[in-house]
Amino acid sequence: MIRFWLTIVLLFISICSWAQDADTTLVEEDFSMYADAELADGAKRFCTNKVLDQSPNKLISLGYDFQGSHDLNFGVWGNLPASNVRVKSVQGIRFSSNFPVISRANLLINLGVNFWETSYQIESSESHPLSAALQSRGLRTAGVAATLFKPLNEKRFILIQSMFDLNGDYSLPEFQSLSYTRVSPTFIYGWKKHDRLMYGFGVSRTFRVGEANLIPVFMYNYTAPSRKWGIESVFPARANVRRTFNTRTLAFFGYELEGQTYHMSSLKGEQGILSPELRRGELRVRMTFERSIKNFVWFSAQAGLRYPWNFNLDDGNFFRGFGDTPYTLENKLTNVWYFNFSINLVSP
Amino acid sequence: MTLEKFVFGLILMFLSTFALAQERSNSDAILGVWESGNGKARIKIDKAGEKFNGRIVWLKEPKDETGKPKMDKNNPDESLRSKPLLGYSMLKEFSYEGGRTWENGTIYDPESGSTYSCTINMTDENTLDVRGYIGVSLFGRTDVWKRVTIKKR
Repeated sequence: MIRFWLTIVLLFISICSWAQDADTTLVEEDFSMYADAELADGAKRFCTNKVLDQSPNKLISLGYDFQGSHDLNFGVWGNLPASNVRVKSVQGIRFSSNFPVISRANLLINLGVNFWETSYQIESSESHPLSAALQSRGLRTAGVAATLFKPLNEKRFILIQSMFDLNGDYSLPEFQSLSYTRVSPTFIYGWKKHDRLMYGFGVSRTFRVGEANLIPVFMYNYTAPSRKWGIESVFPARANVRRTFNTRTLAFFGYELEGQTYHMSSLKGEQGILSPELRRGELRVRMTFERSIKNFVWFSAQAGLRYPWNFNLDDGNFFRGFGDTPYTLENKLTNVWYFNFSINLVSP
Repeated sequence: MTLEKFVFGLILMFLSTFALAQERSNSDAILGVWESGNGKARIKIDKAGEKFNGRIVWLKEPKDETGKPKMDKNNPDESLRSKPLLGYSMLKEFSYEGGRTWENGTIYDPESGSTYSCTINMTDENTLDVRGYIGVSLFGRTDVWKRVTIKKR
């Protein structure tokens, strides 16, 4: 009798179990309970440093930059008359890195190094000391960059960036004295209105037009509701309209002011100059195409017009401001097309 | 068996059981609902066997621009692009490595459609440092998640 009841009970359990397995209908889960929640310990929320669909941060970038042939016209310098040379090309590698060393909700600090090598191919370069120096030694930039993003709450933030660059015609075995380090800090106070818009006002000490300037800056990053278009800019340094084809394919149209002051040690003593500083500044109007080629490795191709802003020589590095202190040597470059491509490892 | 041996055995058994229970308690400290650093999603971390996984259970903006529930439209696998983000398993296969660390898992970013290696460190009982990285931890970014408490209905 006990065996009989045991069999019945087992049979019942088996049927129940089979019935449960056989019911494969998906029951839609109710997630509404998770909406009514609060942060434990009343923790604060902070805004992030990017808008939706903003181009990814490049952890490592290795690129190549090329400018085609153009003219370099020299002004009168001491007993040297005005003259000109034909620059066949200007080219070089560009390496930069940018790693988050502190990445917390309430503080983000990135550190990076960069190295740009620029070589000049000039016809009859020996006809002028500056073209001879550019041809034989080229220009180099080695630097360190630090960025601090400090969100104050969900809507407001502070952004501080500073670059420490050594620019000149030095070579790695004959490195330039660190006393020629040029510091370019930027401070911005901003608002993140929502996930697609952040902007801020600030001030920057910059060498982007070749010589030190203290200028107001306006940061504006925006993504349209369609998420197909956006703007990424820090006026007046750069501004780009972004077209997002998908999260792995982006295109940009815009401009960038690019430049530095270069200490030209090989020109020291020429025409009595004591501390030659080449003020290189240029405006680059360009199209850029960026695409993920495999996971986090992105390819970037850029082409555009390089408009010369400044290529003059000063004796010493000083703040000209709105003054009219004449340059030691005034030079003119003609416009030229350029292209740049790079391989980049982008951040999560 | 002498009485001393019996008592010693009993103490050993008690201590082992206590240590095991403590270890289980530490490993389970991560269970619960967490809010991502940008406050746009809440993720519920559950345990399946010895592995820990996390599903999206709340989105600040659950609807897309057409008013429909957001789908995983950036997924590189086209067959998954019609899957709703709500309920999506974005943390996968974490194992408890002792202390306050869960490792060897992956994190999926629905905004880019990318999957990263991931390590989770619990800095206090209500805070997780979630570090997604590429290959080595240096090439990564940490997001800080906060525990949320669900209000009783």
